[in-house]
This record gives sequence, structure tokens and C-alpha cells, in this order.
Amino acid sequence: MSGPAPGAAAAGRERRRGRIGWLEQTLAGITASIEHAVFTEQHARERGFLQARDPRAKLAIFLALVLAASLSGSITVLAGLYLVVLAAAGASHVPYRYFVKRVWLGIPLVAGIVVIPALFLVPGPRLFDLPAGPLHVAPSLPGVVGGVIFVARVGVSVSLALLLVMTTPWADLLKSLRALHVPQVFVLILSMTYRYIFLFLHTVNGVLQARKSRVVGRTSGAEQRRWISGTMGALVNRAFKMSNDVYAAMLARGFTGELRAYSTYRMRTTDWAVLAGSLTVAAVGVLAGPFLP
Amino acid sequence: MHIPDGYLSPVISIGLGGATVPMWAIATQRVKRVLNNRTIPLLAIFAALSFTIMMFNVPVPGGTTAHGVGGTLIAIVLGPWAALIAVSTALIIQALFFGDGGVLAIFANCLNMGILLPFVGYATYRLLAGRAPLLSTRRVWAAAIGGYVGITVAALAVGVELGVEPIFFTQNGHALYSPYTLGQAVPAMLAAHAFGASIVEALITGLGVAYFQQRHPEYLASLRGIFAPDAAAEGESSPRPLWQLVLGAGGAAVLVVAVLGLLMGGGDPGHFYGADWSQVSWPDVGTMLLVVALIGLVLVPLAYLLLPRPAKRIGAAFTAISVVAPLGLIAPGFAYGEGSPQDVEAAFGYVPQGLQQLSGIFSAPLSGYNVPLPFFEGANAPLWHAAIGYEITGILGMLIVGGLSAAVARVLGGGRSAAPDQMGSTA
Repeated sequence: MSGPAPGAAAAGRERRRGRIGWLEQTLAGITASIEHAVFTEQHARERGFLQARDPRAKLAIFLALVLAASLSGSITVLAGLYLVVLAAAGASHVPYRYFVKRVWLGIPLVAGIVVIPALFLVPGPRLFDLPAGPLHVAPSLPGVVGGVIFVARVGVSVSLALLLVMTTPWADLLKSLRALHVPQVFVLILSMTYRYIFLFLHTVNGVLQARKSRVVGRTSGAEQRRWISGTMGALVNRAFKMSNDVYAAMLARGFTGELRAYSTYRMRTTDWAVLAGSLTVAAVGVLAGPFLP
Repeated sequence: MHIPDGYLSPVISIGLGGATVPMWAIATQRVKRVLNNRTIPLLAIFAALSFTIMMFNVPVPGGTTAHGVGGTLIAIVLGPWAALIAVSTALIIQALFFGDGGVLAIFANCLNMGILLPFVGYATYRLLAGRAPLLSTRRVWAAAIGGYVGITVAALAVGVELGVEPIFFTQNGHALYSPYTLGQAVPAMLAAHAFGASIVEALITGLGVAYFQQRHPEYLASLRGIFAPDAAAEGESSPRPLWQLVLGAGGAAVLVVAVLGLLMGGGDPGHFYGADWSQVSWPDVGTMLLVVALIGLVLVPLAYLLLPRPAKRIGAAFTAISVVAPLGLIAPGFAYGEGSPQDVEAAFGYVPQGLQQLSGIFSAPLSGYNVPLPFFEGANAPLWHAAIGYEITGILGMLIVGGLSAAVARVLGGGRSAAPDQMGSTA
């Protein structure tokens, strides 16, 4: 009995790799992309138009524009707002392809699926009629118009949120929350949660990779379930231990329960101008909406 | 369950802040006063946990999304006020970084998942757990049921919030915001949760509490004095014998069936589940039961013997289900979800427009799940003939679906089922 031909072995390995752990691969993919895109704050560190603005002004602009998008029932206004967002993204060196793809690939998945029944349920004149036996499949015109506006509004809002966090370091964003009189404890928990999420994703990724590099061939479903429950337990254990360590570290650095934050921001003339401009855009959008298609 | 911006009108989404913001203020005060500084990192860890659980969601047509939250578990360990802050924190991060849930809708989302869910879940848990010892199994069950009830109530709230939109905000005949009416959004959200996400949440909460009991009882004990001063002292669990559990679950199931039946029949036992049972000829039913039992005795072992090894158990189980399925024929009126639009109209007084359009789909070759031969569906054919017809179509349908799935799996998996043999021969 000679061993299998090298080609056959390679093919078998290829097949096996495709077979094991789609869940592991998905998780690894998700965590890697989040780590890369969000936690490195790569775009927030660039020298662009929005990055140079005061975070408090950015927060106010963002809220005003989201409100305008939410109030408008006109596709023209939404398209106009999206153009403004794209221009701001371009001036801030946010990569277009990534920015557009991330929003418009994700939105149809959730908002699109949710809105599909409405296309058929909303009464009104039908676009066309597809008789399938006794069944008539046809989206209604008001249903389609409503659906398009609905998805566009969600897309513009998500683009705005994405642009805000891509151009503002998380720490600055949190400090600007203080301007809204959000309690300090709340801000502290927000910032710690953010770090923990990152750390959890990182740890899970490491654990998955460690297992992958030590396991050869297939394991039974029962074994995989045991492994996953064991890993979850270990992760929780580690998280609790870490919470003790973090508390000790806080005490060691003089934490008394009171929090102080440096606030060295100064609103410059450009900040005021940009803020005023955005508020005008938002107001025009809301007021002009009823007269536009 | 995250409502994105654009589903709710700004009036409603910001108006709900009137309920959420004061609760946040109270929660912050209470957490600062009651929880010591030591629990702040723990709170952040639970928020991160909730964030992770909520990442696994599926969209619900007619509603928003369905997923677990973990809010009741946090409420049991740290108290409902801390759960409010933890879940809200996770929601804020999701809204900002992942576009999951809107920024203006944050008040609505925090009200549903951060306030209603942990408070209702925790109240249910406390009610059911009573004064049971801290490490008792009863607390695990109470936690699971609490989680289930909490998230289902939250889903109901989402359905209501979406459903009132078209009532208030409609322009030129089309809805400005969420287009679904109460009659569409509420059932969509409730069904997606009651049969899916709520079960996940119940598992997370129950297993979570069981895990704490076994590995970290100190987290259940140390905070107990603060949140449940009247709870009983710590104690060892005493496992309940299996027969008691089976008897209890069986009794509860019979009770639920009986109460529901009486409710739907307007309190008249002769109209159990709203059907007229005097129309049923019981000797016919007896014959049918006998025939069904005989078929089951032959078919189920046969399926177990004949099916290939990986499909043995599941195949036999499905065969058993299809064998008992015709029992629904006993009920007069329409059984299961198979009513024609006329039946639905008689029962509910109106026909949903979508159903009317879709009903054509069901005029399939084996219409009414019976074989179109006089032996099976003739006007005078006894009930057991119809039962056999029902079974034949059922098993045929399962064979078709199973065959199709196997074929698709084979095409997608590139000869997956052949691989083990090949590996065996080359080894």
C-alpha cells in the first residue's frame, strides 16, 4: 500500500479546509475587519477636513443632519444630504469605496428584507402584473416609493453615523458627550465597554486560531459543542479576573470614584462656520422637503 | 430588535426620551450609590457581553430584527438598574459604530431593551424564584422563564411602536415611516421572538445563572444583600427526581391546553377550542387511532432500519411526526394553519389582503394534503381512509424535501457524503 498521490492529498486537504468551521471563519472575518476598521482609528488620525473640527461641533452637526434625514419624506432631499455626506467624506480622506460599500451592502440586508412585504401589502395601483396561476404577484407603486424612501433614509443616517466615528477618535467623542451633560459614570462605563469589546474580540480570535493550528482533521459535533461551551466558560472566567485586575489598577492610580477629564477644546471660527452651514443645510432640507418629489 | 432611524417618526423617537432620560438619571444615581466602585469594571464587562450577544441577529420582515439581549441575566446578577445602564451602553456603541439601531431611535431602543426587558424579566424571575435557596434549580428555571417573558414583552413594545406609525404619519396615501400596521408589526415581532429569539434569550439567561451557581456563586451572593434583601439564605441545591419533572411538565402542558381551549371556546367544554365537538363521530375516531397506531408500529422501526446511519434518528423522528399528524383531522372545522381564506374569514371576520393573494399557491397537486382518489377523499369515505391519504402525502412530501435537500447539499458540498469513505481508503 503506497500513500495517496500528492495531488489527491492536496485536494483532500483543500476540501477539508473548506469544510471545517464556517462559524470560526465568519467570526475571524468579522473580528479582523472590525479590528482593522474601527479600533485602529486609522482614519480618525488623518489630517482631513472633519478630523480638524471640534468634536462638540461635529456631534451637533451630526445630530442636526440625522434629524433632517429623519424628518424628510422626499427622495431629493435625501439624495442631497447624501451628496453632502460624500463631499465631507472626500474632504476627510475617508476611502470612498470602503465607505459606500460598507453602508449599502449592509443596509439592504436588514432594512431591505424588513421592507419587502410592504411592497406588496400597501394598497395602490400596481406597477405590473405577474399572473402565476391564480396568484397575482405585483408590487404596488406607493409601496415601492415608500420602500425606496425608507431604505434611503436608513442609509443616509447610517452613513452619517459612520462618518462621525470614522473621523473622531472615540476618546474625543466621549468627551464631547460631557457637553451634553451625560453623567461621568456613564461616560466611564462607555469607554471601558468599548475597550472590553475590542479585547474580547481579540481574545476570541486568538483562541480560535490557537485551536485551528493544533487540530488536524475533523472532530465530532459533540466534541465541538463541548469545546465551545468550555471556551465560553473560560472566557467569562478570564473576564471576571480581568475586572478585578482593572479595579486594582484603577485604585493603584488613585481612583476615588470621582472622574475628571481634561477639556482642552476650543471652538474656532471655522468650527462655528461649519456648524452654521450644516444647520442651514438641515433647515433647508426640512423646509423644502414638502415641495420636492 | 434594534429600530434604525427612519422607522420611527422623530416626534415619537424623541418623545420616548421623556421616558428614557429620567430612567437613565435614576439608574446612574442608584448605580453610583448602591454599587461600589469595584463593580464598575464588572458592569462594563456585562455591557460588552450584551453587545456580543446582540451581534447575532436576523432580520424580521414586517418588523425589525430578532436576537438575544442578555438583559435579564445582567439584572439577576447586578440588579435591573445596572442592567439598564449596561444594555444602554451596548446599544449606544452599536448605534454609533455599527449602524445597528438608529441614533435618534436610541431612546426607543433603550426603552425596549434597556428598561422594559430587564425590569419585566427581573420581576418575573423574582416572582417565580420566591424564597428558593440561592443555588437551587428552581432559580435556573425562574431565570429562563424571566428571560423569555422579558424579551417577548420588549418585542411586543417594538411591534406597537412600529405599528402606530402609519396611524399618525401618512402622506398622499403612503406611510412616511414604518409602513406596517399594528396588525402586521405586532404579530411579526411576537412570532419571530416567541418561537426564536426568546428561546435563545431563555437559554442564555437560564444557562448563565446555572453557570454562576456552579462557578461564581459569590457574584450571586455578594450583591444579593443589596438587590434582594428578603431572599432566602444561600443553600445547596437538591436535585429533583426526574419523574417529578416529567409529571410537572406534563401536568402544566395539559393545564395550558385545557385553559386555552376553554378560553377559545368561550368557557363551554362542548366547544373546546371554538370547535363543535358534537359533530365528531367517536367510533370513527377510534378506528382511525387504531389504524394510525398500527402504521406507526410498522413505519417508525422500518424507517430506523432502512435509513443511512447519519439520518437514522432524525429520519425516524420525522416519520413519527408524520404518522401522528392526521390526528388533527379529528378536530371539526379547520385544523392547523391550513384553513382556506373562507375559514379565516369565518373565524376572524376579515381576510388579510396578502393572504388572499397568496392563497393561490396552495392549490397544489395534492390539494388539502390528501390523495385525489375517491378511496381517500370521497364524501362517504371513513375518517381512517382520509388519515391514510394524509399520511401518504405527508411521507411523500418529506421524501421530496429530504431528497431535494440532499441533492442541494451534495452539489454545494462537492460530494460531501462520499468523502469519509475516500479518507478511510487512503489512510
